[in-house]
Amino acid sequence: MAHYKILGRDPYWMNFFGLMILTLIEVVAVYLPLGGVAGDYGMTEKQLTLWILTFIAIPKFAMIAAIFMHLFGDEDSKILTLTALFPTFFIIVMVLFIGLTHPDATTGLPAWCRPGTYGL
Amino acid sequence: MSGYDDSDHPVEPWGPHDWSHGAPHNSFSPIFMSMGIALFLFMMAQAWSFGTYTPGYIPGILLGLAIVGFGLFIFWRQDISFDGSYEPRSSGVPFKNIQIRKVAVWVFLMSEMMVFTSLFSTYMRYRLGIENCGDMYERLEASHELVSGATYTCFEPASHLIASSGWHLTPGAINTFALILSSFTIVQALRYAKMPDIDEEVRRRKVYRYLGSTWCLAVLFLTLKMVEWFIGFHIPEIGFLGISEQNIHPLVAEGYTINADAYTHHDYHDFIMNIQVSASLFYVTTGTHGAHVAGGIIGLSYMTYKAWRGGYTPTNAVSIEYFGLYWHFVDLVWVLVFPFFYLY
Repeated sequence: MAHYKILGRDPYWMNFFGLMILTLIEVVAVYLPLGGVAGDYGMTEKQLTLWILTFIAIPKFAMIAAIFMHLFGDEDSKILTLTALFPTFFIIVMVLFIGLTHPDATTGLPAWCRPGTYGL
Repeated sequence: MSGYDDSDHPVEPWGPHDWSHGAPHNSFSPIFMSMGIALFLFMMAQAWSFGTYTPGYIPGILLGLAIVGFGLFIFWRQDISFDGSYEPRSSGVPFKNIQIRKVAVWVFLMSEMMVFTSLFSTYMRYRLGIENCGDMYERLEASHELVSGATYTCFEPASHLIASSGWHLTPGAINTFALILSSFTIVQALRYAKMPDIDEEVRRRKVYRYLGSTWCLAVLFLTLKMVEWFIGFHIPEIGFLGISEQNIHPLVAEGYTINADAYTHHDYHDFIMNIQVSASLFYVTTGTHGAHVAGGIIGLSYMTYKAWRGGYTPTNAVSIEYFGLYWHFVDLVWVLVFPFFYLY
């Protein structure tokens, strides 16, 4: 269990409230008309929404992993965090060497496994 | 292995689980369960191969499930005798002095991460690699190239339907809050189970109520998932709130199915889409996540029952912690699924 406090309060309650607030912001971000703001930054509204959602998903992910899953503040937190991050290596390999080096991967597939042609 | 001596403490029929004398934690039930799952999946694939249903494989499916059930039964029998007096720790690097079961859960979660990473990277690749149906529709409309009755292959994210109205989004949004809340309730169950200076009856009540709440929230999650996919719901007229009566159709009734090759969204006029890739990515990813929730419900059912019987004490509360790790992981995945599959 956690042996620390967040702003002098129970970390689990604080984490819970923080996650709820971030989720509310996500939902609001989808419904807010952001077209004007997006235009100012040279983006479409959809792109800006995606950036906001990604920006919020990262702290949410970290908050659950660090506080609820005890990857912060416990004596074994460090090695378990490294264990959890181990797949990152494979993810980077996947993105760098497969995703980015084969931009035609989705359209250059053999006919039998191309979208719309596998006859289901 | 520990210095356990078989001659002093004979192995019991359900496996070597003489916890008080440092029994080795070897159990054959995971092997049974793996075999059962392999048989189940293989037979499922054979029974519904390329859209053709072959009932001859049903006994094989049932046999697979029976073997999984048998494995779970052995697990349960072995867990029943676990009073927490002996929690083995790893003796080698890099996990020296960390509970072996905790390490095992993390290694399991690591493999789970790879499963969901594969699904997410496939989604990203197709989402960015195939033209979005909305963009395609606007492009064809603008250039007057839209052919009536023709089918276009493009990427139509489920969010176009789900986020088209607040009511469509409601089940997914409630589910998000339900999972976050359930992560909190299971942490509270662990906290009270581990509390040393608390009355036994108070502990029993607190732990089973928090675990029971987690169970209810998990069931709510799957129920709303069914509502969103298959059932839909009715909104009555509420005059003073300005809400008019309407029926919210489920995804399947809207035509957003896994093999939809002639789908039309209500925003597009005379634009027929083949959305098999986008729909199958949505259903497989959210379905895999849903299957994890369903697995969690099975575990939670047993744990809630055990807690109701007063089975958790500070010495064996780690079981809740290990299950909690899995449950938080399920929440963690949803944190990414919700914005990218439901909102974007």
